[in-house]
Amino acid sequence: MSCKNLLKTVSVIILLCVSQLIMAQERVISGRVTDSKDTSGVPGVTITAKGTKTGTATKSDGTFTLTVPSNVTTLVISSVGYATQELSIGGQTSIDVSLVATGGNLNEVVVTGYGTARRKDLTGATATVREKDFNKGVYTSPDQLIQGKAAGVLVINNTGQPGGSSTIRIRGSSSIRSGNQPLFVVDGVPLSGGSARPGGSGADYGNDGGNPLSFINPTDIASMEILKDASATAIYGSRGANGVILISTKKGKSGVPTVDVSASVGVSNVLKKLEVLDPGEFRQALKDYSQTSGDYKGDVDAFDAITRSAFTQNYNVAIGGGNENARYRISAGYLNQQGVIENSRLNKLTANITSSFRFLESKKLGLEMNVLVTQSDEKIAPISAFVGFTGNLISQALQWNPTHPLIKPGTDSAWIDPAVGSTTINPLATLNYFDDKAKVNTIIATITPSYQITKDLKYQFSYSINRQVGIRKGQLNRIINVTGIEGRGAAFINNQEQTNTQLTNTLNYNKQLSSKFNLNAVAGHEWLTFDSKGNGMNAQDFANLGLDYYDIMQYSTQTSRNIYSFANPTTELQSFFARAIVNYNDRFLVTGTIRADGSTRFGANNKYGYFPSVGVAWNISREDFLANTNAVSNLKLRLGWGQTGNQEFPSGASLNRFGLGQQSISQTNYGNPDLKWETTTTINAGIDFSLFKDRLTGSVDYFNKKTTDVLFEQTIAQPAPSGKIWVNLDGEVVNTGVEIMLTGNLMRSKDINWNLSTNVSFLDNIVNGLTGFYETGALRGQGFSNVFGQRVIAGQPLNVWYLGKFEGIDKTTGQSIYTGGDPSVNKFYVGSPNPKTLLGVSTDFSYKKFTATINMNGAFGHYLFNNTAASVLSITNLPNRNIAKSLIGVEPKEALSNAPAPSTRNLEKGNYVKMTNATISYRVGNVGKSIKNLNISLTGQNLFVITNYTGFDPEVNTDGGNGGIPSFGIEYIPYPSARTIHLGITFSL
Amino acid sequence: MKHNKILLSFFVVVLVLFSCTKLDERFRSELQQGNTASVSAAQLLTSAYQSIQGTFQGNGNLISSAQVTSDETIVPTRAGDWDDNGLWRQLFLHSWNADHSYLSGAYSSLLGTQFAASNVLQFSPSPQQAAEARFLRALSMYWVLDGWDQVPYRENLTDYKILPKTLKGTEAADFIISELNAIIATLPDGSPTSAFVANKDGARALLMKVYLNKAVFANRGKVVAPADFAAADMTQVITLADQIISSAKYALNDNFFDAFAPDNDTKSKENIFTLLNTGTSARGTDAMRGFQYMVNHYNMNPDGWNGWSTLSDFYDKFEATDQRRGGYYNYAGALPNPGHNTNAGFLIGQQYNLTTGAALNARSPATAPLAFTKAVKIKETDPNTLEMAGIRAVKYVFDYGTAGDFKKNDYVMLRYADVLLMKAEAMLRSNNAAGALTIVNSIRAKRGATALASVDLNAMLDERGREMYWESYRRQDLIRFGKYLLLWQEKPADAGTKNLLFPIPSSQLAVNPNLTQNPGYN
Repeated sequence: MSCKNLLKTVSVIILLCVSQLIMAQERVISGRVTDSKDTSGVPGVTITAKGTKTGTATKSDGTFTLTVPSNVTTLVISSVGYATQELSIGGQTSIDVSLVATGGNLNEVVVTGYGTARRKDLTGATATVREKDFNKGVYTSPDQLIQGKAAGVLVINNTGQPGGSSTIRIRGSSSIRSGNQPLFVVDGVPLSGGSARPGGSGADYGNDGGNPLSFINPTDIASMEILKDASATAIYGSRGANGVILISTKKGKSGVPTVDVSASVGVSNVLKKLEVLDPGEFRQALKDYSQTSGDYKGDVDAFDAITRSAFTQNYNVAIGGGNENARYRISAGYLNQQGVIENSRLNKLTANITSSFRFLESKKLGLEMNVLVTQSDEKIAPISAFVGFTGNLISQALQWNPTHPLIKPGTDSAWIDPAVGSTTINPLATLNYFDDKAKVNTIIATITPSYQITKDLKYQFSYSINRQVGIRKGQLNRIINVTGIEGRGAAFINNQEQTNTQLTNTLNYNKQLSSKFNLNAVAGHEWLTFDSKGNGMNAQDFANLGLDYYDIMQYSTQTSRNIYSFANPTTELQSFFARAIVNYNDRFLVTGTIRADGSTRFGANNKYGYFPSVGVAWNISREDFLANTNAVSNLKLRLGWGQTGNQEFPSGASLNRFGLGQQSISQTNYGNPDLKWETTTTINAGIDFSLFKDRLTGSVDYFNKKTTDVLFEQTIAQPAPSGKIWVNLDGEVVNTGVEIMLTGNLMRSKDINWNLSTNVSFLDNIVNGLTGFYETGALRGQGFSNVFGQRVIAGQPLNVWYLGKFEGIDKTTGQSIYTGGDPSVNKFYVGSPNPKTLLGVSTDFSYKKFTATINMNGAFGHYLFNNTAASVLSITNLPNRNIAKSLIGVEPKEALSNAPAPSTRNLEKGNYVKMTNATISYRVGNVGKSIKNLNISLTGQNLFVITNYTGFDPEVNTDGGNGGIPSFGIEYIPYPSARTIHLGITFSL
Repeated sequence: MKHNKILLSFFVVVLVLFSCTKLDERFRSELQQGNTASVSAAQLLTSAYQSIQGTFQGNGNLISSAQVTSDETIVPTRAGDWDDNGLWRQLFLHSWNADHSYLSGAYSSLLGTQFAASNVLQFSPSPQQAAEARFLRALSMYWVLDGWDQVPYRENLTDYKILPKTLKGTEAADFIISELNAIIATLPDGSPTSAFVANKDGARALLMKVYLNKAVFANRGKVVAPADFAAADMTQVITLADQIISSAKYALNDNFFDAFAPDNDTKSKENIFTLLNTGTSARGTDAMRGFQYMVNHYNMNPDGWNGWSTLSDFYDKFEATDQRRGGYYNYAGALPNPGHNTNAGFLIGQQYNLTTGAALNARSPATAPLAFTKAVKIKETDPNTLEMAGIRAVKYVFDYGTAGDFKKNDYVMLRYADVLLMKAEAMLRSNNAAGALTIVNSIRAKRGATALASVDLNAMLDERGREMYWESYRRQDLIRFGKYLLLWQEKPADAGTKNLLFPIPSSQLAVNPNLTQNPGYN
C-alpha cells in the first residue's frame, strides 16, 4: 500500500509540474463520484483535466470542485480499485461519475509484495478482495472478511469462540507436519503466524490458541491480496508455499480532514442446538430400557443454562486528511463481543496511525510511519478439546440428566450432587467455578523512508518492530467435583512475549524502456528476526477466602507447584530477492522472480535456499484480431512455474539440544546439518477475461502443486535421545485443482445495479512415495483413549480417515455390526476430510438508496467425524446421562451396552452451503450540514446452513493433532457457532 | 546527482552491514552439546533413574504389555468405557497387530531408558556413577530382549547417525551378563533401606533373571521345554541367590504388604532394587496414583476409572488364609477404616467407604451395591452389572497421607521373595525338588498359607503367581513355563507361536534398517 500511495503521489506531482506550463482561461466544474455498486460517494478519487497539470481529489462524500482551463474537454477520473474513466465535459459545469470496481480493471495498481504492479502486468494467480467486497458484519479478525471470496481459498472458523482460531488453506494442504496456514503480510510487515497468547496449564482450560490475526481491526483494512501460485509468491521464498495474503490498511487521502464513524450493536444466539432428550423423552427412554434409576423428577435444559443471547458493540472512528506532501489517518476501534456461552467475551481496543510525508524541495525524500496498537482482553470459556470422559462445559451440558435440577433446591448455587455420579460434573458449576482470562497487547511500528533517486529508480528502507505481550490467568475452585481439583483447587499464571523485527532495503526500477517495452523491477535485501519467550506457574491447594487463587499463588502447597520458563532460540531470516516484470507492447509479459533465503533454522549444510519462479502471459485481447471487438475487453493467458518453500519447523531443529528439567538435563533434539525447507513446485495455467464491456469478468486457473522434501520430526533409531530429529522425508504431497471466478454486472443503470460473483474450486490431494504411515486425528471421549482416526500414507489424501465400517445394529443383540468384526482391527480407508469443491457466491443489488448484499460459502466432497455424537451422546449414557435424540425410537433398538467405537457410524458428509452474511442498507445521505453519507444497515451473520451434517456446524476443525501432525475435520464438543444480527450506522463529518 | 551517489553508497553499506549475519542460532533456555561443561553425570544419572521410573512404574505401557497379556489381569470393555478402540481387548486376547500403541510405547520407553543410562557414560561419570548407569542400561536391555528379542545397542554414543547394532537372543543375554559381571565390584553394597540405588545385590538378582530365562532367549519362536534349561545356568542362579541370602541383609516381611506400603523404603526388608518415590515430583512419578485410576471404581476413595481386574481362576489359586490374597492392612497413611474392610490385596464383594465404613453404591444403577464379582467377561454388556464385574487388586496400598498425585510407595523392581523363588525354581529345574519345596514352604509359612506336600513346575508357576502377581513378571513366567499360548479364562488358545514376541514398532523399522519385523507380523 505504501508504495501505491507513493506512486500516486509521484504521478500527481508530475502532472502538476507539467501543467504549470500551460496558461489559459478557467472555469469551475463540480460533481460527485460514486461507486457503481452502492452509489455511495468515493473519497480520494483523483480528478485531472486531461492534458493539464490541474487536478484535485474528492472529499469524503465523493464530491469535488475543480477549476480547469477553458480549453479542457476531458476529465480523467482515477482511483485505486476502480476503472479509470475519461469523461468528455462539453459545456457542463456539474458532472456525476459512477465508477466501476471490477477485477477487470487493468490499469489498477495492485500490491505484489515489495512493490506494486499494474494488474494488467501480472502473470501469477492472484485475487484481490476490496473493502466493498468484504463479508459484512462484525468480525474479530481479517481472515473472516474473505471467507468464500476467492477461489481456492478455504477459511474455516475452528470454533465459535469470539476471537477463536481459524484454518486457512490456499489450494489445499501441502505439508504433513509443517504449517499449512498462509503467510500474512500487513502493509509490508510479515507476521510470524504465532501469537503471544499463552495456553492454560494445570487443568483443562480452553485450548483454542486464538486467532493470531485478531489484533488487526478489520475496519482498518482497505484490501487484501491473495497470492496463490509460485509466480506470485516466490518473492516470499521459503515462506511462500502455502500462499501469501497481503493486507493493505486504509491510508489518509489529501483534502480537508474527514471523520468517519461507524457504530453497530448486535445480538448473537447459538446457530444450532444439538437434539438431546427433553425430560419427558428421557423418562420415556428410561422406561423403554426398563431403567429404574435415573429420574430425579426435575425438568431442566442444561444447554440453555450455559448459553445466552449475547450482545456485541463495535465502534470505530477514523480521522484522515492531509495534502500532497503529508497525509495521515488515525483510527480507533472498540469491540465488545460477548460469546453465546455465558461468561465468555472478547474486548478489543485498537488504534492505528498511518502517515506519509514528502520532503525536500524536490519532494524526492519520502517517509511513512505507521503505528498499530491493540489490546485484546478475553474471558475464555472452559472448553478444551483435550478432554476424555470428564468432558468440557459443552459435553457436560449435553450429557446432563434433564431430570436433575442444576440448582440445588433451596439455594442459588450449582448442585454438586454425588447421586448423579461422582464424576458427573454440573455444567453450571463449571461455569461458576472456572475462571480464565487472557490479555494480549500488540504494537507494530513501522518506519519507511524512501528516496526517488531518478525518475525511474527509487530506494526504500523499511524497519518494523512487532511486539506482543500476553498474560493469562485461570483458576478452578476447589468446590468443583473434578478429579484432582475437588478439595484442592488449581490456578495458573502464564506469560508470553514475542518480538519480531524487520529490516528491508528495496530498489524499485520502473521504466518505459522504449515505446513498446516496459520494465518494472525490484531488488532487495531483508533481515527478519523472531523472538519468543515465556514463563508460567501453576499450583494447587487453595482456600476459599474470597480471593482469586491466581493472586495468592504462595498459598499453594509446595509439592503441587510447577514452574517453567523458556526462551526460544532467536530465529533470523536473511534474504536477497529480485523480480522483474517485462511488458512488451501490453501483449507479452514475462515475470521472473528469485529469492534467496538464509535461515537460522536451516541446517549448516543448507543455510540458503533459492526460490525461483517465472511467469509468462499473453494478452490476446491486444492482438489485432480482437482489438476491435467490443465483446472482449480483456483476454489474457497466463502460465507460471516456480518453487517456494515452507520452513515452519521450530527454531533449533537442526541442532543438538539439551533440555533442562528439574535438576536434570537430557538431550531433546538431535542435530541434522542437512535439514532444510520443504519445497513446493507449482505449475499454474490461467486465463483472465473481461467480456461485454466488463459486464462479465472472470478467470479460470489450473494448478499442480507438488511438495517434496517433506519436513518431518522423527524418532532417532533408538536407543537415542528421547528427543527427535527433524528430517526431510522422501515422498511428496500433490495438490491439483481448477479454480473458476466469475463476476457479472447483471444490471447497470442509474437507479439499479446488480452484481453477482461466484467462485468455484475443484481440489484434489494425494500423498505419494511416503514410507510407512503416520497416525493422527485423535478421537476423544469416554472409551476413546489413544484412538486415532486419520493416517498419512502413500496413495491416499492427506489425513485420510482410517476407521471401522459400521454396518448397522444387530436386531437380536442390539450391538453394532462392523465389517470384518472388531472395528479396532478391521479398519478401512473411508474418505477424505479435505473438501473437493469449494464454493463462494456473492451478490449485491442496489435500487436507489437501498442496497442488499448476500455472501455465501460452501464446501463439498469431504467427510467430518462427529466425535461429539460418537463419544459424548452415546446410548451407554443411560440411565444417568442424556443421549442424542436420534438414538431413540429407531429400529433395531440399540442395547445400552453397545460400546461406542470409532467407525463410519459417526463419519458424516461435510457438504454445506452457508449464508455467511446478508445485509440491507439504506443510504440516507447528508443530514444537515455536518453529517455526511449517513448509512444505516441491518446485517445477519451466519444466518443459516444447508447441510445434512448432524453436529453443531459443518464449519469446524477441532484439534486432534498427534505428535505435531495436525488433524482435520473433527468436531469434538466445540464452542458452538453463533448467528448474529447487527444494526449498524456509518457516517462522516 | 551527488545525493544519489551518497544514497546509493549508503544502500550498499547497509546491505553489506546486515549481510554479515551468520544465521547462527543462539540457545537461551537449552544447551548445545558443545556446551557440556554444565552437564554433569550426576544430573544425567538422575535423569536415567527418572526415566526408568517412567518406564516401569505404575500403569504405563510396559506393565500393560507384561501383565495385561497374562492370566492374572483382564481389562474388560465396560460398554462405552474402556473400549479404547479395542486396545485392551487385543492385549488380553493376544490379538494385537504390529502397531499396537501400548506395545510400541513400551518398546520406545525401554529404549529411552537405555539411552538415558548410556548418556551418563558420555559425561565423565565417577566409577560408581558409571556402574549405576550400566546397571540401568542392562535392566532395560533385559526387558527389551524379553519382549522383542531384538535389542538395538549403540557402541558409539557420540554419533547417533551411526545405526545401533542389533543384539538378539543368546548374544544379547551374554552381553547383559558380561555387563553386570563387569560392574558388580564397583556397585555399592545393597541394603533394603537404600535399594533405590543400583547395587551389587540388584545386579545379582538381575543376573539370576537372565540366567533363569536364557533357555527362552535361546529358543525364540518355539514354546520352551524343561529340557531346554541348561544345568550351568541353573547353577549360576543358585550361586547368585546364595550370595544374596548369605549376606543376611534381607528377610521376608512379617506382613506381605509391608513391601508395597508408603513407607516401604524403611519398613520392608525385602527391597533389593526399588524405584524411589518421595511424594513429590523431585524424584518419582505420579504413576503410583495411576494404579488406582486403573483399578478403582468411580465411587471409591481414591476414585478411579473402574478398569483393570483379576480373573477368578487366578483368584481361586489362593487359600483363604493366605495373607497375599488380601484383607485389612493397617499401615501408616491409611484411612481410619472403622470396619476393618479389605484395603490390600484382592477386592471382592461389597466395597466400603474407608473413612466412615459405609457401604458404597455403584454409579449405575446408583441403587446397586458396589460389590465386585468373580464373574467377568472381556466384553461386558449388561448395564446392571458391568460396573461391578471383576475382582480388583491393590498391591501398592494407597498413600492417603501424602497430598497430590505423587505418592511415597517405592516401586519394587527386585525383591527378596523373588530371589528365593528363582532359587527354588532353579533347584527344581536342576532336579532338586526337595530343596525347592523347602524354600517354597518357608515362603508360604510366612504368608499364612499351608505347606505344600510336593512341588512341580505347575505348582512352582502357581506359587510365583501368588507371590508376584501384578508385579509385571507374569508374562515372563508364563512363557518360561510354556503356558503363555494356552487357553485360559475368557482367552482362547493362540494360533501359532508369533505372540511369544511382541512386534517391532513400525516407527522404529522406518528409521533403523538393522531391525527386522518379528515373524508373523508382516
